[in-house]
Amino acid sequence: MLQYAFRRILWMFPTFFLISMVVFTLVSLAPGNPGQSGGTENASTGASVQSEAVIFFKRQFDLDKPVLLNTRWTIGTPEVRELVVTAQAVEGEPSPAARLQATTALEDLGNYLVRHLMVLLEEDPNPEVRRLAAAYLIHAAALPMVSERIGDAEVAREENRFREGYNSALRGLSCAPGAAAGCQEEVTTAWRSWWEAERARYEYTGLEKLQATFLDTRFARYWWKLLHLDLGVSPNRVPVLDTLLLKLKYSLTISLGSVLLAYLLAIPLGVWSAVRSGSRGDAVLTVALFIMYSLPTFFTGTVLLRLLSVGDPVAWFPVGGFESDPVSPTTLGRIGDVIWHIALPVATSTSVALAALSRYARSGVIDVIRADYIRTARAKGLEEPVVIVKHAVRNGMIPILTLLGGILPVLVSGSVVIEVVFNIPGMGSFLVDSITNRDYNAVMAVLLASAVLTLVGILISDLSYALVDPRINLD
Amino acid sequence: MTESPRPAPQDDPSWAEIVWGQFRKRTLAWVAMWGVLLLLAVAIYAPVFVSNTPFVWVTADGTSFPWFGTLFDRTHYPSGIDLFFNTLLVVGTLSFGPMIWAWRRVELRPRRERTAARQRLVGVTAAGWALAFLAVLAAGLQRPEVYYEEEAARLEAAGTPATAVWPLVRISPGDTDVTRSMAPPTAQHWLGTDAAGSDVFARLVYGTRVSITVGIFAVSLYCTFGTLLGAVAGFFGGRVDALLMRLVEVVICIPSLFLVLAVAAFIPERSIFHIMLIIAGVAWTGPARLVRAEFLRLRELDFVAAARAAGFSKAQIIFQEILPNAIGPVLVSATFGVASAILVESTMSFLGLGDARVPSWGQILATGRTYSSWVLILAPGFAIFTTVSLLNLLGEGVRDALDPKLRS
Repeated sequence: MLQYAFRRILWMFPTFFLISMVVFTLVSLAPGNPGQSGGTENASTGASVQSEAVIFFKRQFDLDKPVLLNTRWTIGTPEVRELVVTAQAVEGEPSPAARLQATTALEDLGNYLVRHLMVLLEEDPNPEVRRLAAAYLIHAAALPMVSERIGDAEVAREENRFREGYNSALRGLSCAPGAAAGCQEEVTTAWRSWWEAERARYEYTGLEKLQATFLDTRFARYWWKLLHLDLGVSPNRVPVLDTLLLKLKYSLTISLGSVLLAYLLAIPLGVWSAVRSGSRGDAVLTVALFIMYSLPTFFTGTVLLRLLSVGDPVAWFPVGGFESDPVSPTTLGRIGDVIWHIALPVATSTSVALAALSRYARSGVIDVIRADYIRTARAKGLEEPVVIVKHAVRNGMIPILTLLGGILPVLVSGSVVIEVVFNIPGMGSFLVDSITNRDYNAVMAVLLASAVLTLVGILISDLSYALVDPRINLD
Repeated sequence: MTESPRPAPQDDPSWAEIVWGQFRKRTLAWVAMWGVLLLLAVAIYAPVFVSNTPFVWVTADGTSFPWFGTLFDRTHYPSGIDLFFNTLLVVGTLSFGPMIWAWRRVELRPRRERTAARQRLVGVTAAGWALAFLAVLAAGLQRPEVYYEEEAARLEAAGTPATAVWPLVRISPGDTDVTRSMAPPTAQHWLGTDAAGSDVFARLVYGTRVSITVGIFAVSLYCTFGTLLGAVAGFFGGRVDALLMRLVEVVICIPSLFLVLAVAAFIPERSIFHIMLIIAGVAWTGPARLVRAEFLRLRELDFVAAARAAGFSKAQIIFQEILPNAIGPVLVSATFGVASAILVESTMSFLGLGDARVPSWGQILATGRTYSSWVLILAPGFAIFTTVSLLNLLGEGVRDALDPKLRS
């Protein structure tokens, strides 16, 4: 059993990795990244670059990196020259769209440009291209800031101070258009000596190329942060993890509450209708559960809210929120308050799961009740309640245990609708809000968190199934 | 030794006919099927009952039949869905009689001949309809909109009233008028109006078209895709199977509605076809698993070994031999799938992530919630509930009819 559990848990990791890959690719395909705003002319160098703030933002969110695979080390000097020439309209008149595209590409390529820009700076026949090469080198050679949320913040701050100084030292190394004749010579010499010192960093060995291909990507960087429990920050600079944990508390309370309630109600209902199978009571229950099953959650929720909260006709329950503000001073009072708040959401959420569960419970018991050992139990004179509860129900409940794994994702999914309808600040409404705010870090985090919940749910149901049914061979 | 050829018995039923016979015995499922057909009829014949253009328009200038002209007009029906159903309205109605006649004509033929003839009939009809729809799309008629209601009022005022034969409800779902925003039900607007002043009843009727299209197209799409993948995985097994099942596991572990909403949000100007694609992209795992399991079971059976021995190609074995025997569970899950696709679509439009340009039930309900209007909550809620429960009942009927254990 332990070995089985261990193996199951180990399998979760590759699955989670694949899930993160799929979700990450999907989220990265999303249009309207914050970095896609237009470029502005930089007065001092004449190089059209996007504002410092946009570049900072892109670097911070790694939006300048390719998503899964990085092949930027394969770029050649002629291609880089083409980009520079297009971005600055040095030769010919490229369209504004092409210029913007080239500008963005130059920014995103970052330090992969350094080697080629050095060549252009030294050897290009066009003096304008040589001048621009120096201007672009300033951006390409700048060291990116490191995250202060991973590891020792003091060390990171120290490192960033150093990098700041390094970058600002480079900043003067270019000439304005139409500067004095000796300027370009001076700048070229300065870059040459810089290149002598830093050369090793920009000439990639085979291993470094491999490393760059797989690790200098958005996905790898996301995972690096994920391993340090850093899910990034929202546009309002609040770490996503903090928000997520808070939201998770609300959503899990409602989901687990409904799972518990659904099982507590479904088992007796299922057993009752199985024992009275074919009677009028069974028929009425079947119809009622069928209706519950076919009602959409958002409809049930809206109707319950109107009937019991808005005051049309009564206002017994609050119209939204997870608990009152300020919270009740006593623990018991607080629990009561939360229950009062989540009663309707839990009821709505339960109604979805209840119908399916009790149907399964019913057919589980019906299957068992015809078995020989039940007849034996009756024949040896056991009381009917003992036969049903001890012999039939225990065996008939095995199938509905497996449903747990399937119900959890449904309930987590359903939380979107329920939280939006009942105004609960949980994970579902967090997802909808993040989508409207284009907060991709948060969307990623919610999708991953829900996947983890589902994986755990499936694990629990598999394990409990294996535990309860001795016929299942574990190894 | 010679053997006289045995004449084919006249009443030897095919598999489809056995299942059909079983299905007919189930009263509830039979009623549900007629309910679904009724919904389909509402979707197809919506313009006959609800349209702002009269069938016949008689003025001093002469007589015209403007309603027929609007059917294939992109100005009047901007959505492709409406054009599709309007094509069905014309072509379907015209071909209905001949189809029934051709179907009945082969009633007494031997089974093989009868089945082949009927399959050919269905294929030819479907191809004909598809061609007609493509022709309508390609024609892309566009004429300036004429508001006959205003025209009638103008002529009335001028003292030369027009004689017109109107549809039952004289308004189209896209007609807006903010001066009558959120009006309560009246004789003119049976279910009142929404925030933009559109007629809720008209939107509800045309919403049937949207729901049914999403349901049927999304499900056919993902069933085809899932079946193919499942067949390949189950037939070849080994590494292909392991890889595909891993992919299935990955998709299953992401709560589907979360995934659907996230993807929908990333599509600027999403149309109803995007929504179908998204739903299909999440739901294909169901049929894939079902078909794979069936293939794993069936490929070990003798008839497959016989086909191999007879030198059939792999594609022949998969598609001609095994697939027809593995399709049953997919049929059942497809029927339930239509219901859940409709639910997902209405949930998406309820949350404001659907196609805002087509009338949708979820969107009406969202308006009802925002403006606290009982009519706008109950009417679409009832429509969704009816459709979903009819489809669920139908699904149960199909499941029971396909189950050989329940045959009497």
